[in-house]
Order: sequence, then C-alpha cells, then structure tokens
Amino acid sequence: MDSVVGSGGGVVGPSVVDRPGKSAGDAGRLSTSRFARLREHPQAERWVRALIVLCTLVLVAATLEIVLDAAVGHSVLIPKQPDISSWMSGIGTRLGYRTFLIALLAFTAAYAVLLGLARRISKRWAVILVGALQLIVFVGPVLISTDVFSYIAYARMGVEHAINPYTHGPIAIVHDPVYQYVGKDWKHVATAYGPLYTLLSYPLAPLGLKAALWGMKLEALLAGAGTLALTWRCARVRDLDPVLALLVVGANPLWVIYGLGGAHNDLIMTLFMMAAVSFSLAGRDASAAASVVAGALVKATVAALLPFMILSRRKLAPILGALGALALAAVFGYAVFGIHGIDLVAALNRDAAFVSTDSFPTELAHLVGKPGVFPIDHDLLKGGLVLIVGYLLWRTWRGYDWVAASGWTLLAISVTSTWLLPWYTLWSLPLAVVVRDRRLLAATLAVQALFIVHQMAPLLVPVG
Amino acid sequence: MSDTATPSPNATPVDGGRWRRLPEWIQPRDRELSGTGRRRLVEVTLLILAGLLLAVATVNDVVEQTHVNHRLNADLRTWREYTGHDYKNVSTEQDIYGHTTRDVVCGNTTPGPPKERIQLCLQMTGPVIDGRRAARGGWYLPPKAEDAPAFRYGCFGTATPSEFCGRAAAGAAGSPEGTSPETSQ
Repeated sequence: MDSVVGSGGGVVGPSVVDRPGKSAGDAGRLSTSRFARLREHPQAERWVRALIVLCTLVLVAATLEIVLDAAVGHSVLIPKQPDISSWMSGIGTRLGYRTFLIALLAFTAAYAVLLGLARRISKRWAVILVGALQLIVFVGPVLISTDVFSYIAYARMGVEHAINPYTHGPIAIVHDPVYQYVGKDWKHVATAYGPLYTLLSYPLAPLGLKAALWGMKLEALLAGAGTLALTWRCARVRDLDPVLALLVVGANPLWVIYGLGGAHNDLIMTLFMMAAVSFSLAGRDASAAASVVAGALVKATVAALLPFMILSRRKLAPILGALGALALAAVFGYAVFGIHGIDLVAALNRDAAFVSTDSFPTELAHLVGKPGVFPIDHDLLKGGLVLIVGYLLWRTWRGYDWVAASGWTLLAISVTSTWLLPWYTLWSLPLAVVVRDRRLLAATLAVQALFIVHQMAPLLVPVG
Repeated sequence: MSDTATPSPNATPVDGGRWRRLPEWIQPRDRELSGTGRRRLVEVTLLILAGLLLAVATVNDVVEQTHVNHRLNADLRTWREYTGHDYKNVSTEQDIYGHTTRDVVCGNTTPGPPKERIQLCLQMTGPVIDGRRAARGGWYLPPKAEDAPAFRYGCFGTATPSEFCGRAAAGAAGSPEGTSPETSQ
C-alpha cells in the first residue's frame, strides 16, 4: 500500500497508486473490472498515475497561490487582520477576485478528477496530500471571513473585560485591540455559539491577539485533523473506502480554503459529530449521544443527529447519555453565563432570520422576480424542512441508516437556510462518505458545486 | 441502509414483543426491506428535479450578477469621466433597500488614500448607454466619513437636501474648490 510502485515507474518515496489489497477497502477497489483491465495495460496505468500527480500538483499550487497572495494583504477577499504571515508576503502579489476564482476553479476541477481516480491512490499519497493542503492553509493568513475575530472578541469579553458574550456584542469592548478586526455586521451581535465552544475559547483570550489567533487556527487544524481521522475510521468500520472518504473531505475546496482558511468552529462541531458516529458504530450509544450534545454546545445545528440516533437505536442508553450531557452543560452554562448561555434556541431563531446573497432561497426568489426573501418565505422554508425531516424520521424508524438520514437533514438545513455560508455546506460531507447511500454524497457535492458556480460572476465581468 | 439493502433476518420488526402489537406497516425495523425500487425512483426523481431547480436559479443569479457588474463598471467609468479623476479606489453602493438600479459612487476629490479626503458621491440612474450612465445628483462627504445622511452635505441635482443630506445647512458653506457639482447626462 505504502510502498514503491512495482511497474517500472521509478517512483521514489510515497507511491501514487495502490498495490494489491491489504484491507477490506482495498479488496473492494481491486475487484472493479475497469481497474483490473487497466492493470493489464501498463501505458494506461502510467497515464492514470501521471494524472494523479498532475491533479495533486494543481491542488497544492492553487492552495499556495491563494495563501501566498493572501499574505500580501490589502485584498477584499482577506479580512483586515494582525500581521501573522508577513514572512511569506514577499512571494505573492495582492489577491484579486480573478486570481482567487481561477485558483478555486482549478482546485475544484483537480479535486473532481482526483475523486474519480481515488481507487488508484495509495493511502500514503492521500494522507500526505491532505496533510500538505491543511498545513499550507494553516501557516497562512485568515482567509475570506472575519468570524475568527468574533470568536476571539467573545473570549476576550468574558476573560479580559468580565462582560457576558451572550448578552453583549463586541461593541462592548470597543477599545480592545480585537475590536477593529470584527466584521461590521457582527459588532452589535451577541455570540450565537454554544457555551462549550465559548469555554474552549476562553484560555486563548489572555494570550494576546496574535497568540489567540494562532490558537484559533491551531484549534481548527486539530479539529479538522480529528474529523478526518474519525471519518477514515468510520469508513473502515463500515467497509467503505477510507482513502476516498479522506480525499472527499480533506481535499475538498470548501473545507480547505473556506473552512480551515477561516479557522471556523464548524470543524470543532464536525469533530464531535464524527466522534458520535464512531461511538455509535462501536455500540457505545450513551457516549455517542453525549458527543452529539457536546457538538451542539459548540454549534447547535448538530443536534439534528440526536432524534435519528435515538429512533434508530430504540434504547434507553442514548437518551440517558444525551440527558446526562445536557444536564451537565446546563449547570456549567448557567453557572458561567447565566440563563442566556443556555438559551440556544433564541440564538438560532435570530440567525434564521438573516439573509445572505449566496443562499438558495435568495437565488430562487430572484428567479421568480422577487428582490429577496420575505417573512412568508421563511415560514414556507421552515414548513418544507419539517416535511423533509418528518419523512427522514419515518424512514429511520423503518430501518434507513440514521447516519445517512442525519446527513440529509444537515444538507436540507443548509439548502433551505436563508443564511448560507460556504462552510455550512461542509456539515453533511463527513457523514456522506461513511454511508452506503451514495446519493447523499452526490447531492452534497452538487450543492457545493452550485455554491462555487455562484461565486463566478466577478470572473465573467470583473468590476473595476 | 438504503432501500436496496439485501434482505436479511434483521429486515424484520425488532425488539422482541415490545412493538409487535403495532400494525406491521408501522413497526420499527433494524434494516429496510429491499422493496421494488419504486420509492428509490421517486426519491431520485425528486432530488434531480430539486437539483435542476437550484441549478437554474444559480445560473440565473450569476447572469443577473454579471449584468449588475456591467452596470457598476459603467457607474465607475461615469464617475471618473465626470470628475476627471482616474482614481482606482472608487466605491459603489447599490440600493439594497429599494432594489432599484440607482447606485451611489463615491471617491476622493483630491489624491489620497481611500476616504481620507473630501469625497464626492454621485447618484447613477438609467440604462447603460455607450458604457456610461446618467449622474443626476449627488453630495459631498467629509474625510473619513461613511456615506450616511448625517455626514452628507452640498446635495445637488435630484439628491434633494431634505431627503438625502442630513447636513444640508452645512452645504451652504459651498462645495470644495475645483469640483463644482452639476448634474449631467
């Protein structure tokens, strides 16, 4: 698996393609007649290998291009931020829309080809590629979003200024050094994140702005790596291809550029989510449910998994596990943040009213000639979501895989939400690669592809 | 798993007798029955239809956005011709509340970093003709000020002081030298 290719390629170091199966996943790969035929044609195999190397280089080059150009600063795509990557700023040029979008398209195309060839990629090659992509983004500046500065601001409010981040927005610390970096739409907004996440961010607050920023980036990197490791594990347990699972998630353009690039706490949420799936597959239902609750105390969306898990198991253990974790969190949350710290429903309701230009409901509204979504549209969307979730609950009760049903639900939430951000399309991705119903993976990737297409207008007619 | 899962002894109601009292069609299962594939066909059809709808909406939005970008380019070109300043840092703002095509374009009146000098804002309306739009009114902003009514002064043209300029009185002080505003087509 990890050794040098045998067939005359002269490849030194990590091999590109797999050797005959050493695991259940490999056996499945090699049984495919198409690839078995390929092995009989060394020239075709060389082309496949060359294509894999080329796609790998494109992925790395596109990521480097974005990160090095972003390090120069002064770009509308890069939030104003403390200087953490000036050591690499002499190499690139200022990141413009055109360069960014071309790099994103090249990344996406290479990713798509690589997924098609995933069965021919060795474990080591996949791990090194995914690791390299994560590290390149980690050492660079914060990309695209100002959210990480909101995280730091909320932490500094609680630790440095003794202000409850659940009752005040960052405007309450207008003289704090982090304030100038908080997005203008969020200066008056109290935190919508769960108390567990807020507590996790507190130790970073006294370290100073730059150290806190690196801490946030490290948290996102480790959470992302943990999610990938658990995704790999779950795929193996379910006798699915772990290399494909790793590549789908870890080399995903939205995961790398937007999710990790922005150091979003969604990666911590997905870590708890995949831990829950992993516990569940090991038969540890109480721990699985507790893990879902822990994830929901980072970002409430992941609570959507719980009813499917409980319905599928039909045991007391997951209910007790969830209640135990919830009780513990309520006590801690209330003790530290008061009643507002445990009132996640209010935060969800507030966020549900937001509207972003990238959301599908907004696009549909434009399609029918409306300027945007109206309150009645919010109600219709909620109604549609309830119908979908109701159907999935019924299917789960009648034996459908609860993990797949949860993935469909997270995808439906992101598609029907009027506030869609790129990293929201990542929620269902790790679940989609550990279920046998491949329609979920196809649908998740299709939604992501549409999101990327929606970014392309500045490439067609640049403004300037 | 999916509704095509292989039938197995587990593809039956579970949990002993606890759920047996329920009618068969409502009893829980550990695994789905393989079925005829009809449900899968319906689900896939609905998914494809939803996907097509989202794809059409996405492409429609991209096309609309390219038209908006085309309009914004005409706005910028008009501002530069009107002021005679070929500045790069000129900002455009769309009418996101009224959803009209009336854009506001602001830029410095003298060379300097963005928003660090007195700014001239022009209201652009009408269709794009020969790559330009009509500037029918506007106002001034002091250095470092955002484009909010409280900061505006020297309203002219269709930008009536009562509607657009919170500092209409200050406008009486006159407009900055060398940039005397007048409406243009």
